[in-house]
Amino acid sequence: MPDNIQEQKDTEQQISRRRFLSYLGGGLVVGGLLLQGFAALRSLFPKVLYEPPKKFKVGMPSDFPEGVRFLPEHRLFIIRNDDRFHAISAICTHLGCTVNLAQYSPPKDYTSASGKEVSETFEFHCPCHGSKYRENGNVYAGPAPLPLPWFKLYLAPDGQIVADTNTTVNHDFRLKV
Amino acid sequence: MKNKIKSFMRSILWSYSPASEREAADSTARNFLLHWFPAKIATRSISFSYSMVLGTIILALFTILTVTGLVLMFLYVPSVGHAYWSIKDLEFVIPYGWFIRDLHRVAAQLMVATVFIHLMRVFLTGAYKQSTTVVGSYRPLNWWIGLALLLVTMMLSYTGYLLPWDQLALWAITIGDHIALSAPLVGPAISKILIGGTIIDQNTLIRWYVAHVFFLPLIIFMLILWHMWRIRKDGGLAAVEALGTERIQQDKVVAKGKTYSLMGIVQGITPTITQYRVRGESVNASPYVTRRILVIFVFVTAITMALAFYIKAPLEQPANLMWTPNPAKAPWYFLWLQELVADTTIRIKGFTISGGFVGGIIIPTVLLLFAAAWPLLDKSTDAAIGVWFHKSRRLQNTAFLAVVAVIVILIYVGAVMRGPYWHLYMPWQAWIKMPTRF
Repeated sequence: MPDNIQEQKDTEQQISRRRFLSYLGGGLVVGGLLLQGFAALRSLFPKVLYEPPKKFKVGMPSDFPEGVRFLPEHRLFIIRNDDRFHAISAICTHLGCTVNLAQYSPPKDYTSASGKEVSETFEFHCPCHGSKYRENGNVYAGPAPLPLPWFKLYLAPDGQIVADTNTTVNHDFRLKV
Repeated sequence: MKNKIKSFMRSILWSYSPASEREAADSTARNFLLHWFPAKIATRSISFSYSMVLGTIILALFTILTVTGLVLMFLYVPSVGHAYWSIKDLEFVIPYGWFIRDLHRVAAQLMVATVFIHLMRVFLTGAYKQSTTVVGSYRPLNWWIGLALLLVTMMLSYTGYLLPWDQLALWAITIGDHIALSAPLVGPAISKILIGGTIIDQNTLIRWYVAHVFFLPLIIFMLILWHMWRIRKDGGLAAVEALGTERIQQDKVVAKGKTYSLMGIVQGITPTITQYRVRGESVNASPYVTRRILVIFVFVTAITMALAFYIKAPLEQPANLMWTPNPAKAPWYFLWLQELVADTTIRIKGFTISGGFVGGIIIPTVLLLFAAAWPLLDKSTDAAIGVWFHKSRRLQNTAFLAVVAVIVILIYVGAVMRGPYWHLYMPWQAWIKMPTRF
């Protein structure tokens, strides 16, 4: 460097003009890339989903026969026991296949985990990896890690049953009509 | 006159006939298409029994896939309402549509298989090993690029498999999505980015389509180029490592000429050129390697076309979330994973880990990490580089083949021995009858 040109050196209080400008330029490049990357990534997480609602009417209580009825479009089982209703998901907790209904007549007897003799008229069997669920959704065979969830049911003002698949409930839940 | 016609035909069909060794070597440097190749190549390196030309076969299959894929892009509509019916049109309306689709599918399946066999070849010959004496090469890098290529090949297969939007497609995505969901913490975010919502719909299809026709091909293309470039940088296939190199020095008189290399500018001196050449017999890359590549391309194309006439690409019923086919099976190269996710749910005193996470994420990741770390863990001698079943690597070759055997057995069990409800059936047992439509 010629003698008559003096480069400004960094001191403790201030940094040189050159260093400042290179930090500024580099920072703008990095900042711009981060912003664009974030925008691109964020755009892939939709804000609005044009999907069927998670709360829906499934019909009048009188539409349901005694026993179990499968609602394929909602992947949901509605079970009626006289005047009491409950709903069990048909989505296998292993990898999301739709479970099939296996009905038994005469009823099938088995000994529950607590040693009680129980008889059931139906079970749920998953076609994908062979998980099997009892009448109440508990797993007894196959790879499924969790029982089938029960969903909340309530009555709409027009008398129809509404299923709320956002809200899971305990096994003692019944909608009494 | 006869000679004139002969030379004219020759100039169209095959103009290449070098007058000397030197001219032949020079042509690889001058010709844009030939400059990928070295001027000379060791005969050991191009021996079929060493490499089984698997890489070239894969490249030929990839070329077929690119060409047929481009044609299919004109004929396929990536929309939930149209995708299935555009495939139906391909099968029954568009002239030779079925053939293009079958060709694409057969080539894809062959590619997955060949990529895996290629990986086996590289492992069993110890070609991923870094020599302790040779400088300037780093073979483990190409092994890692190869693993990335295997992954991208699998992803391309998986994404392509979904596009027909039939039952097969829908349930494959459903299972894939739930495997992602079973990952702790990041699962839901990954699932959201994969399927673009909470149910599998148009958002999902367009994402997988763009991945299949643009992102993944772009990535695999760049990785292929890097993979080949690395072979040159590593000094050729690992088979030549055992040959050693010899040092050749010669004086070269530089003629005046138009060139952009440094040699053209420096005049009036006779530089001494020092070369390190692989010992032993070698041949000119052109035509010995180029001719072979052409022959492989022709063979692979012929075999793929012949298979495409006999192996029909399946098309099940339109995608229907209300009903899962029974049994619902993944394509054969994923069946070992499907078998794993079905068998690996762990239950310890009321605490349960889903098989989706164990078999779908942990086991494949561990296998991949092992494969990636292997070049650094393998402490066998340099003599084992580029040699089939070298005795110093007997134990690790056996372990590797055992893992391969387990995967093959799992694929067989998944393909043949799993019936409705994923029950285990012996090959001679009849499956119970299941309704095939809803």
